[in-house]
Amino acid sequence: MALLEVKNLRIDYLTRRGSVKAVDEISFSIGSRETIGLVGESGCGKSTTGLAMLGLLPTNARISGEIVYNGKDLSKMHQEELRKIRGEEISMIFQDPMTSLDPIMRIRKQFFELIQAHHPKMNENEMEKISSEALKSVGIDPSRLNNYPFEFSGGMRQRVMIALSIALKPSILIADEPTTSLDVVVQEQIMEVLKELKRSKNMSMVLITHDLGVVAEVVDKIVVMYAGHLVEYGNVYPVYEKPLHPYTQLLLESIPNVKLEDRELKYIPGSLPDLKNPPKGCRFSPRCPFSKNICKEKEPPIFEIEGRRVKCWLYGGEINANIDKTSSAVG
Amino acid sequence: MKTYILTRVLLAIPMILIILTIVFVILRVLPGNPVLAMVGPKAPPQIVAAMEKEMGLDKPIIVQYGDYLLNIAHGNFGRSTLTSLPVIQELMQKFPATLELTIFAMIVAIFIGIFFGTYAAYYYGRTLDVVARVYSIFVYSFPVFWFGIMLQLIFGVWLHWLPVSGRSSPFMIPPHVYTGLYVIDSILNLDWPVFVDTIRHLILPSVTLGVVISSIFVRMVRSNVILSLSSQYVVASRARGVKEKKVLFSHALKNAMAPILTIMGLEFALLLAGAVLTETTFSWPGIGSYLISRIAYRDFPAIQGAIVFFAFFIAAVSILVDIINAWIDPRVRY
Repeated sequence: MALLEVKNLRIDYLTRRGSVKAVDEISFSIGSRETIGLVGESGCGKSTTGLAMLGLLPTNARISGEIVYNGKDLSKMHQEELRKIRGEEISMIFQDPMTSLDPIMRIRKQFFELIQAHHPKMNENEMEKISSEALKSVGIDPSRLNNYPFEFSGGMRQRVMIALSIALKPSILIADEPTTSLDVVVQEQIMEVLKELKRSKNMSMVLITHDLGVVAEVVDKIVVMYAGHLVEYGNVYPVYEKPLHPYTQLLLESIPNVKLEDRELKYIPGSLPDLKNPPKGCRFSPRCPFSKNICKEKEPPIFEIEGRRVKCWLYGGEINANIDKTSSAVG
Repeated sequence: MKTYILTRVLLAIPMILIILTIVFVILRVLPGNPVLAMVGPKAPPQIVAAMEKEMGLDKPIIVQYGDYLLNIAHGNFGRSTLTSLPVIQELMQKFPATLELTIFAMIVAIFIGIFFGTYAAYYYGRTLDVVARVYSIFVYSFPVFWFGIMLQLIFGVWLHWLPVSGRSSPFMIPPHVYTGLYVIDSILNLDWPVFVDTIRHLILPSVTLGVVISSIFVRMVRSNVILSLSSQYVVASRARGVKEKKVLFSHALKNAMAPILTIMGLEFALLLAGAVLTETTFSWPGIGSYLISRIAYRDFPAIQGAIVFFAFFIAAVSILVDIINAWIDPRVRY
C-alpha cells in the first residue's frame, strides 16, 4: 500500500500579474521504503511539489487535489496538525546547506529545538542521546554539537541537515536538490550517506533533482516533470532504457558523455514556457521535435503504456484519448 | 572575547577625542565672552582682564586646548561660573535623573518596536503591517515637545491621572539615596508610596520620549525581520516542525537583531538629545535641563562638561552594543 499518495495535485501562485500554474494535475505515489525521483528543469514545479507535501507553500499559493498520507489529506490539514507531522514523520532537506541552518544557533540547540517541538517533555540526556546518534549516523563526531554552523564546511553542513531531518526517524525524507550546491566529491559522499540511511532506517525518500546521474543510482521510480506537468512516470530502469516521452529522451541525451567522439554538450533548444500563459495543447510542444498539429491544439491526457504513464500524443491516437487521467498507480 | 572588548574600547578613544575637539572649537568660535557673561557688560576692563587670566583665556588657543584635554583626562571639568561648584559634581547629581528617564524611554521604545515590528513583518502586507507603517510615519513626524505637551494636556490637565512635571511630589524622595535612580532607591528603601509616586512621574516623560523613538525601531525591526523571515533557515526550521512563535522570535528576530541593536545604540544618542527637550517640557531635573539653563548663563565649563559627559555616555553605550552583538552572533567575535 502506498505510504503517501499525491492525487491530481494542482498549485497556482497568485501574483499581481495573474496566476502562475506551477503544478498542474500531478499524481504519483510513494510506497514504504521506496525512493522516488522528481526530475525536471529548474522552474518545472519539483520544489513546489516537495514543499506542498509539508504544507510549507508560501501564502500566495493555492492548492487543490489531495496529498494523502496515512489516510489523511495533508493539503487540507490544519497547520498545528501539519506541524506535528513535519520533522517527525515527514522531513525535508534543502538545496543550500550554507543557509539552511540558523547561523547564530549552536547545532545542539537546533537539535533540541527539533526534539522539543515534538516531544516537549523529553529530558536533556535523552535529547543529547538522540542528537549524538543522529550525528554519528551521518559520520560526524557528536562533540561537534557544540559548534556553530559557520564552523562546518558545506558538505558537513548538509550532513548536519540530514542528521536533523532523520533524528526523529521519519518515514519519509524529502531531499530537495541535496547535492546541487556541493562540489562533485562531496556530492558523492552525501548521496552515499542518504543511500545508507535509507537502507538502515527503513525510510522512503523523495529525491528532487535535475541531475539524472544521481537519480539512476538511488531511485526506484521516477517522475519526470515539465512546466508543471507530469510527462512521464514509471520504474526507473525502463525509463532510462527506453524513455517514451520526447522530453525524457532529450533530457537523457543531454547527459554529457566523455567517451563519445563528439564532446559538445547537447541541450534542448528553447526554454520553459511562461507559466502565467502556458501554451495551448502540450506544454512541451514548442520545443518538441516530434510535434504534430494535435500537440499544439489539445493537451494530451496521460496514457498508460508498458506499466508506465506518459503524457504525450505519440502514444495514443484519438481512440485512447479518454483513458481516465487518475487511473491506478503504477507499481 | 576579551581581545574583542579591548579593541572596542580602544577604538572608542579617537571617537571621544574628536568629540572633545569639536566641543572645544565650537565653544571658542561661538559669539559671547564668558567673562562678560559672568561679570556683566559694564565691568571695568582690568577686572575682565584679571578674570580672563584666572580662567586661562589669555593663553594661546593651542595651550588652552592642551590644558582642556589634560583636565578632562583627570576628570576635572572645571568649576561652574554660575555656582562655583565643580561641574563634575553637578553633573553626577543630575545624571541619575537623565539615566532613569532614558532607560524607561528605551524600555517603552524597545517594547513597542520589537513587538509591533516583528508582528508587522510576520503579517507583511496585511492590516497589522499597514497600521505599523502608518504609526511609524505618523509618530516620527511628532516633535518631542509637542507630543509631550499633548500628553500633559490629556492625562494631566483633562483627566488628572498623572503629574505633569518633575521627578517626584514634594517630600516623596527616597529617604536613603543609594543609586540616585529613584525607582531602585525606593525599592531598596521598601518605600511603596515613594515607588508609586516615582513611577507616576516617570510615565509621561518616558512614554513621550519612548513613543517618538519607537517609530524608527518599528521600521527597523519590521524590515530586518521581513528579510530574515525569507531566509532558508526559517523554512528549514518550519520543515522540522518548530512552532511558529519560536520560528518568529528565536530564529527570525534573533538573526535580525544585529542591525537592530546597532541602530538602537545610535538611537540612544538621539534619545539623549530628545531628553534635552523632554526634560525641559516636563521640568525633569536631569542633565538636559541643566544644559539648557546653563546655556542661558554662558556657563562655559558647565556646557562643556555636559556635552563631554554625553559623549562619554554615548561611547560607552556603543561599546556595550558591540559587546551584546558579539554575544548574540558568534561570527562577530572571530
